Amino acid sequence: MPFNGKSGKFNASINTVEIGCGEKAIKIGGENVYPFYTFDAPIENAPKIGVMISDLGLENEPAGVKAYYEGCSSFAEIAQKAAAMPGADFVCLKLEGADPNGENKSTEECMTILKEVVDAIDVPLVVYGCKNVTKDAELLTKAAEVAQGKNVLILAAKEENYKGIGAAAGLAYNQKVGAESAVDINLAKQLNVLISQLGVAPANVVMNVGTAAVGYGFEYVVSTMDRVKAAALSQGDAQLQMPIITPVADEAWSTKEAIASEEDMPEWGDQEARGIGMEVSTAASVLASGSNAVILKHPTSVATISALIKELV
Amino acid sequence: MTLFDRVFGGSQEMYAWAEKAVTEAVEKYGVDKEVSLPQTAYCLPCYYAVTGEKLTKLGEVQEALGGRIKSMMERKERLHNVFQAGIGTALAAEIIEAMKYIDGAEPYAEPYVGSFSDAWIRELGVPLVTGDIPGVAVLINAAPTKEEAVALVKSYQSQGIFVTCTGGICQQLIDAGYKTGFNVRVTLLGDEITSVIHVVSVALRAALIFGNITPGDLDSLMEYTKDRVFAFVNAYAPVDDLTVGCGGGAIAFGFPVISNDLVSLKDMNVPKSLILQGDTSKFNATSLDARDIKIKIAQVDIPVSFASAFEGEIIRRGDMQVEFDGSRKDCFELVCTKEAGDVVDHGFELIGPDFDAMEVGSKQQIAYIVNVAGKNMQSDFEPVFERKFHSYINCIEGVMHTGQRDMIRVRISKSTFEAGFRAKDLAEVLYVNIKNEFDAVVDKCSVTIVTDPAQCTKLRHELATPAYDARDERLTSLTDESVPVYYSCIMCQAFSPSHVCVVTPERLGLCGAVSWLDAKATNQLDPQGPCQVITKERVIDENLGRYEDVDEAVNKFSQGALEHVTLYSIMEDPMTSCGCFECICGIEPFSNGVIIANREYAGMTPLGMTFADLASMTGGGVQTPGFMGHGKHFISSKKFMKAEGGVERIVWMPKDLKDQVSERLNETAKELYGIDNFCDMIGDETVSTDPESLLEFLTEKGHPALGMEPMM
Repeated sequence: MPFNGKSGKFNASINTVEIGCGEKAIKIGGENVYPFYTFDAPIENAPKIGVMISDLGLENEPAGVKAYYEGCSSFAEIAQKAAAMPGADFVCLKLEGADPNGENKSTEECMTILKEVVDAIDVPLVVYGCKNVTKDAELLTKAAEVAQGKNVLILAAKEENYKGIGAAAGLAYNQKVGAESAVDINLAKQLNVLISQLGVAPANVVMNVGTAAVGYGFEYVVSTMDRVKAAALSQGDAQLQMPIITPVADEAWSTKEAIASEEDMPEWGDQEARGIGMEVSTAASVLASGSNAVILKHPTSVATISALIKELV
Repeated sequence: MTLFDRVFGGSQEMYAWAEKAVTEAVEKYGVDKEVSLPQTAYCLPCYYAVTGEKLTKLGEVQEALGGRIKSMMERKERLHNVFQAGIGTALAAEIIEAMKYIDGAEPYAEPYVGSFSDAWIRELGVPLVTGDIPGVAVLINAAPTKEEAVALVKSYQSQGIFVTCTGGICQQLIDAGYKTGFNVRVTLLGDEITSVIHVVSVALRAALIFGNITPGDLDSLMEYTKDRVFAFVNAYAPVDDLTVGCGGGAIAFGFPVISNDLVSLKDMNVPKSLILQGDTSKFNATSLDARDIKIKIAQVDIPVSFASAFEGEIIRRGDMQVEFDGSRKDCFELVCTKEAGDVVDHGFELIGPDFDAMEVGSKQQIAYIVNVAGKNMQSDFEPVFERKFHSYINCIEGVMHTGQRDMIRVRISKSTFEAGFRAKDLAEVLYVNIKNEFDAVVDKCSVTIVTDPAQCTKLRHELATPAYDARDERLTSLTDESVPVYYSCIMCQAFSPSHVCVVTPERLGLCGAVSWLDAKATNQLDPQGPCQVITKERVIDENLGRYEDVDEAVNKFSQGALEHVTLYSIMEDPMTSCGCFECICGIEPFSNGVIIANREYAGMTPLGMTFADLASMTGGGVQTPGFMGHGKHFISSKKFMKAEGGVERIVWMPKDLKDQVSERLNETAKELYGIDNFCDMIGDETVSTDPESLLEFLTEKGHPALGMEPMM
């Protein structure tokens, strides 16, 4: 009997969300098949890659990243250089300096940097908070206002602060709302429900369902993303059909593989290569598990993942 | 004169005023003159929100006034028409205000603000949506004195409520030198009543921006303002017809009006909408109550710290100032549900001496009674709140709490006492936490602390014990048949993704921590949370406990991993287990029975498997017929594997577990089968841990399972 391939495409699909404006705007999501199952149906929009830059500048970055940005003397220049990175689709500005347990920069100070970046680039922008829920509530609410008219993605509203961030980004200033939960399908869904009850249209929501670097409890990430996509597609669960964005850089570059020096771990080889290895393997894994976008920072990682996506989609 | 007459009278008056203003403007500027309120994309925002039409030119305004607005003011004695007339009055007022702004005029000079820009609405809208601004107060007319005006404004301001002022009260605040402005959330709209439209405009533009309401969809607009914009009006006497007309509009949008005009509004009160409150010092409380505004308390105001870091703190005897010991003295803690009228919010009463009148290091009695009231409060939640007291009180620096109900022990350290900690602070901790954590159901809360020995004894016997007994009675009287719904619980899905507990009164969650009442409370307090209602209307097989509703729910909550679950069978589609089970039950083929092992039991069972071995094949959300995880309390339930014959199948369990459940299990066996001292027939590890000698023991005891049908 001849083999008859059956298409595994679903009737339901992931929401398409557009970020940014003008020619360089990107669309993420839209597919009605599992990740990279191009043999079942074409993938509507290939996964996208963002380049993370920080309000703390380049001081703590690995040599390869520093080298890439060499000569940049302002946040505007850094942002432009990031936007021009081969393989990159968007820029992600992380306002980590606002963290009260770190530099504790004022919201105003961060907004000056954000304004500088917003004005400097024409690619889509993702604004990433400092992870302190109280500070983020203030910071990201203001960021939504400062970036008015740019259709940025605000990353992210969490269960503790979704009201302020969701209302500011999703209602008052017409930005896109990132919904962040910690590697649990039910928490992800609950947050989506809460944000939609606030009045934010599901088409304006992108999920960050949380991640870990590969080897650091990553199987939880795989099963969460798998189940989210399965519920969204096979069960048509509208509250889980938001596309997923995964900030990989932070996780990958804070593992011991990335930070242990060569003096301490001579047998592990080149330190920067290890960091790139972690970033590339984590990004590839979350994409295979269902992420519609990843945020990376090393030019080599961006180039590698970009090549991977081009080969698969 | 009826309220209807006054609303219609006011609307006519407003209409005439607007007509005059528009006619004068047309004469001066002509019909093609551009019209808009300043810094808004909505031209005349209220008119746009209500009708869906943008008025941009004077001629259009004139037409709208004589057409649409006039028709809204048609005088008919129906409630709908009164609301329409009220809205019409508001729209006419907006036109009057718009005429003031014509040709770029600036009719309002500081400290007046007049019309709000769209940017302000967006800025204000976010905290309104989040509840950081819990409400909007609209104050109209002069207060009896300027001191009183300041006091009322200050009371709202301290609660975070956004205050807007219209009419005589503006001048009073200016005279008093009170600081006003958008940034301090107290704004002076204008001296004329028409300026009140600027706050109505805030509500309606918020509905368009934050509620995605389609302009012109009046029903949705009214629903949004009623449900989402917590505004209310305080109108000081005397209230003229114009104000009453606008008030009709306020009520239409769901904003209650509170007034002290007992003369002209005599007998015109409308419950929840027009409230007469002669005592102006009570405007604040009456308004919050009428609009269901709950104020969040950010901090616990006590002389020592309050944080979870102190939860595990131990107070040694030598460090303690005073101890309340329920094992020696009459002590208790109790939550009482009351009618709203019987509870003064944030009330505190101390019956007996305070801590400073107690001898250092002495044992004393204490009772704390927390009275709560709320529209959605149910007495079933009382134990759920009460169980939190332990954690609340332990979080106080230098205070230790153990036990529950009338077996509590509380110690207060010397340093905490010396910092000034007294009974009222204990009450404050309970008040703030109950209000914050259970705000979905608690509207009002007050605390009574009793330290008087005679009163403690009396209240313990007359109030507390009957309350506890009634609750226990309620728990035992709850059966799967007597309740209308069951609940799902998916708290454990984080690590057991396909597991769903179906919690019924007679089958609590397998972790032992979630009873049906807990699940119900969880559902009500957090409607999007882990416990959801499962209906039980479509029964397939009552004996197995198979319902279409349950299957659908399990399928949905397990994301398709499970299709069928029975409530009462261990063999056919048994309920899954996450991994938190208190006990595991498994079939023992030689005796036709089952054995039960609890988590604490480390030894061997007659199945040749330890608890850990059993757990590895039962957990993870998979169905393993013949094995099932469950809570300890389920063992004595009449629904325990009811489909296979019930508890008389139990042939073995560890001695400790048997001792814990024997009393209730014996009762169940007696009631179901007429067997006395059933537990004596059940083997344990002192009798046997292998199937052969267990069978001998069971035969000797005449265990009923031996004569039953084999389970497989």
